[in-house]
Amino acid sequence: MAEVTFDKVRKAFGSAVAVRELDLAIRSGEFVSLLGPSGCGKTTTLRMLAGLETPTSGAISIDGTVVNELAPAKRDIAMVFQSYALYPHMSVAQNIAYPLKKRGVSRADRDVRVAAVAATLQLGALLDRKPRQLSGGQQQRVALGRALVRDPRVFLLDEPLSNLDAKLRAHMRAELIELHRRIGKTMVYVTHDQLEAMTMSDRIAVMHDGVLQQFGTPKEVYETPANLFVASFIGSPGMNLVKGELRAAGSGLAFVRGDLSLPVANGGTAGAAVTLGVRPEDITLGAGPFACTIRVVEPTGHETIVMAEAAGETLVARAAPDSQLVPGQVVPFAVRAQRLHAFDADGRRLPLVFAQSNGA
Amino acid sequence: MRNRSLTSRILLNVLAWSIVFVIAFPLVWMILTSVKPQFELFRIPPTILPQEVTFEHYHRVLVETPFLKYFRNSVILAVGTTVLVIVIATLGAHSLVRFSYPGRERLAQLVLFTYLLPSVVLIIPLYLLMVWLGIANTLFSLMLAYTTFALPFALWLLRSFMQGIPQDLEAAALVDGASRMEAFVDVILPQAVPGIISTALFTFILAWNEYLYALVLVNTDEARPLTTGVMNMLITAFNIEWSLLMAASVMMSLPVIIVFALLQKHLTRGFGAGGVKG
Repeated sequence: MAEVTFDKVRKAFGSAVAVRELDLAIRSGEFVSLLGPSGCGKTTTLRMLAGLETPTSGAISIDGTVVNELAPAKRDIAMVFQSYALYPHMSVAQNIAYPLKKRGVSRADRDVRVAAVAATLQLGALLDRKPRQLSGGQQQRVALGRALVRDPRVFLLDEPLSNLDAKLRAHMRAELIELHRRIGKTMVYVTHDQLEAMTMSDRIAVMHDGVLQQFGTPKEVYETPANLFVASFIGSPGMNLVKGELRAAGSGLAFVRGDLSLPVANGGTAGAAVTLGVRPEDITLGAGPFACTIRVVEPTGHETIVMAEAAGETLVARAAPDSQLVPGQVVPFAVRAQRLHAFDADGRRLPLVFAQSNGA
Repeated sequence: MRNRSLTSRILLNVLAWSIVFVIAFPLVWMILTSVKPQFELFRIPPTILPQEVTFEHYHRVLVETPFLKYFRNSVILAVGTTVLVIVIATLGAHSLVRFSYPGRERLAQLVLFTYLLPSVVLIIPLYLLMVWLGIANTLFSLMLAYTTFALPFALWLLRSFMQGIPQDLEAAALVDGASRMEAFVDVILPQAVPGIISTALFTFILAWNEYLYALVLVNTDEARPLTTGVMNMLITAFNIEWSLLMAASVMMSLPVIIVFALLQKHLTRGFGAGGVKG
């Protein structure tokens, strides 16, 4: 069991800053995903935790002990690499046994533990093969086996599923969830795939340009994104973002964009520029106070993605698979006011509460 | 069409075989001469195949001359140089590829720059240096001299080779509990074997065939390698012992040919890999 703490950790390569003042406290036994687009600093963060990069400033601790200067070998961590990094000249059995060998475990003990891990991961028949004789999925399991064979304090996984095909990825995702539930170890998982992060994590750390944007449960990150980046990065199709401003309307305020107007129940100041965020599933087509023109209809089987135009903006909405919409059609729509998001001019979340509007 | 391709193929073959003939003839002639009796050598018209095969010259070279001592010197020299160069070049190349420190690229270029100096320029300074170090006239001094001019090429060959080894492999070994040196030995070196073999072969041949430095830096039989030794004992101002010279030459060429034949497969792999980044 191990807690991992990043305290104001910064990493610069020359003049390029990869990670800026990162504060992150990972609880013991937690599955945490570092999520972000490529180049956001998530892999650098993981490599610093592994000891493969040294932080420029700040402190990284495992179980309260600062490990900045500790060699990777001394940190008691295991890591699965995106490229798997299997040793090509060693057999599967030798690959899995290598971490044990380096820690002075006797040959007999090694054999027992390798056999146990191989059985869990269904690698028993492949132990004598060389990595290049294995399929991608098998190589992935060997890499996992090499991490599992020891009993490390922390598991680090660097996009372990990104080289697998879609079907195998879904399967391995389920396996990893099951694995984490069984061994209950602290796991730090780097991915650019929000689906992986959302499905597997206890908490997600969303990163962008080396800066931590939000750290919360998948539900928090999805339902109350801390800023515009998180709002637009999480969710597929992405959140609709409409720029407008707050104006006085009747007794209170309203968000106004063109002929669209949404009454605000609480918060905000008149004249403020505000970006409104609406998730595709929070738009209901067919009835409501607003009108839009259907542009594109994309049936995916279990739902239909609809692109429509309203107030000069293109909105994306989810519709039922049996909806009979055709491009060019003008349909009324409503938004679920209690699930709307608002962001200020700097992209930060605003605590606005919208009132359900029944008339335009 | 078919006729034309046939004639061009014949022409190509004739051309190729004539080049092979030009290159192979001296070697074949060397072997033939070494087994002909002395009296047959200067006969006019000359015989191509020996009318009588004799191994007398081989016997004389091995028994009556210090050939074996030179041979031993050459083996020590070539093996010693190769080991020294490989140890320094693998570690050096690894440093040039993996470690980041200021001036790394400049250093790599500088190493190559030393390779551009004509070796003749370095002989006198090197000789004086060896005298000053008190190791002049020893095999060790030759070993050092050969290392200085084999190292730049070896470093570059291994550097381009090691650039093809994925960085993650070393990182994985470090996380798995290896020290930097263990990761190098356990993971990097096995991947670099083809590159190491080609570099070793190159160095071995260079050290085995070197003549100029051996001539200048060493003037005692105790430290003389085959190249200068054989010339010294069989070629005098008055006479050239052709039969013995040819017999000695055949025996000199053998180790290189054997080593080359054994490692040829790895050699092509090694040189090929240098050009392609993985």
